[in-house]
Amino acid sequence: MPEKKAKKTVDVAKAFTELESIAEWFEKGESDLDVGLKKYERAMELAEVLRERLEQAENKVTEIQKKHSK
Amino acid sequence: MTIFSVTDFIAHINDVLGRSWDAEELCVEGEVSGFRVSQGQWVNFDLKDETGLVNIFMTVWQLHVPVEDGMKVRVFGVPRIYPKFGKFSITANRIELVGEGALKKALAALKAKLELEGLFDPSRKRPLPVFPNRIALIASRESAAYGDFIRIVNERWRGLEIHTYHVKVQGMGAAEDIVQAIQAANTRSAIHRTAMSEDEYDAIVITRGGGSLEELMAFNSEVLVRAIHSSKVPTLVGIGHERDLSLAELAADVRGSTPTDCARRLVPDRNDVLRDLAHHTEKIENQLLQAINSKKDLIERALRSPALWLATERERLGQLASRAESNMQQWLKALSDKLRNHVRLLASLDPKGVLKRGYAILKSGSQTVTSIAGLSVGQPVTIVLRDGEGDARLEKLRRANEAKQQKLL
Repeated sequence: MPEKKAKKTVDVAKAFTELESIAEWFEKGESDLDVGLKKYERAMELAEVLRERLEQAENKVTEIQKKHSK
Repeated sequence: MTIFSVTDFIAHINDVLGRSWDAEELCVEGEVSGFRVSQGQWVNFDLKDETGLVNIFMTVWQLHVPVEDGMKVRVFGVPRIYPKFGKFSITANRIELVGEGALKKALAALKAKLELEGLFDPSRKRPLPVFPNRIALIASRESAAYGDFIRIVNERWRGLEIHTYHVKVQGMGAAEDIVQAIQAANTRSAIHRTAMSEDEYDAIVITRGGGSLEELMAFNSEVLVRAIHSSKVPTLVGIGHERDLSLAELAADVRGSTPTDCARRLVPDRNDVLRDLAHHTEKIENQLLQAINSKKDLIERALRSPALWLATERERLGQLASRAESNMQQWLKALSDKLRNHVRLLASLDPKGVLKRGYAILKSGSQTVTSIAGLSVGQPVTIVLRDGEGDARLEKLRRANEAKQQKLL
């Protein structure tokens, strides 16, 4: 389970950028419906993943022990 | 009596002097004069007061505060005679500035120097990633700043990995402590980067609460400013204070006004992001719907056009048909009128009509008799009247002019 979780780690920045670019594509009013449907599917997938990431994950605080000696 | 060689004598004196104080025990306070750095590594100046003067020697690496002539400083170190020149000096291992005035003066001097070097150059400041995944937090574990930072990050964001590097944030060795933490974080991040792992740091956050100028001196130390300046990982520095910015903040890529502000600058509010997300998906949905509808319109129009053609053809046909029909009826009417006239005419010619008026038809056998000629007395004939017929025998025959004569007679 934690391994699965680690794999599912979402790069929020990448996902969000991709979503924004899809939104822009649609804004341009491209008329290829097939491509549009694929892009729409991808957008919904991204939105779902992002939403999940923002709703569920907690912040994790780990203390790093300094190895150096004084 | 002991006879020393010069070298032995100096060594003996240095030994005695060295034993006279424990390390950290000797501190001399005075005003700096004739400050100079030679070969980029040796620091030399005189420390004096109204009546006395002593030479100070140290390396630049031990000098962590900006020193210039006229400043009041405390020098920590050991007294020593340099054998080669027989010169007495204190070999300093640490120098502290004395008094707020000196601190401010030193700070201004250091600021000017580093500014000239371009350490605060706004053009080299890097933006922090909008959505950081992992950061190094350099702070004092016990500080309110640490707690505030973590609390605000937790309020705003999820899924952030925070590696905390616990450091001293004031007093002796604080600057060095922080510098080491910055370097350790950079090293760790670099290792992760080369290992193609995504575990490198997106930012290094250095934060502490406010304090007096003296308490904040670590954040004005040259080593720390340089460490921040040369950090490969983008830096975010925030110190709570009401006074001038520390040099560490000026050198940072991004600065927060307080630890709380640092947290706000580091991570977006997830509610905002969720709103953006909803906005984007809604826009995409609408656009797709629009695209679908326009296609649908196109199809409908395409389907409608043959139907339209058909409808107009049908209408034309209808018009033609109705025209043909009305023409035909007119023709029919004319025809029937004509027929009726004929019928009327014929009716007037019908012998039965004549019979009605009292005339009779005389038949002999099946032949109608129209002339007296050919008839003979006693011949049987049939008299046809309007509503029947009767048989008779001719009794007497008269030709027309005979009859006329008789009438005349």
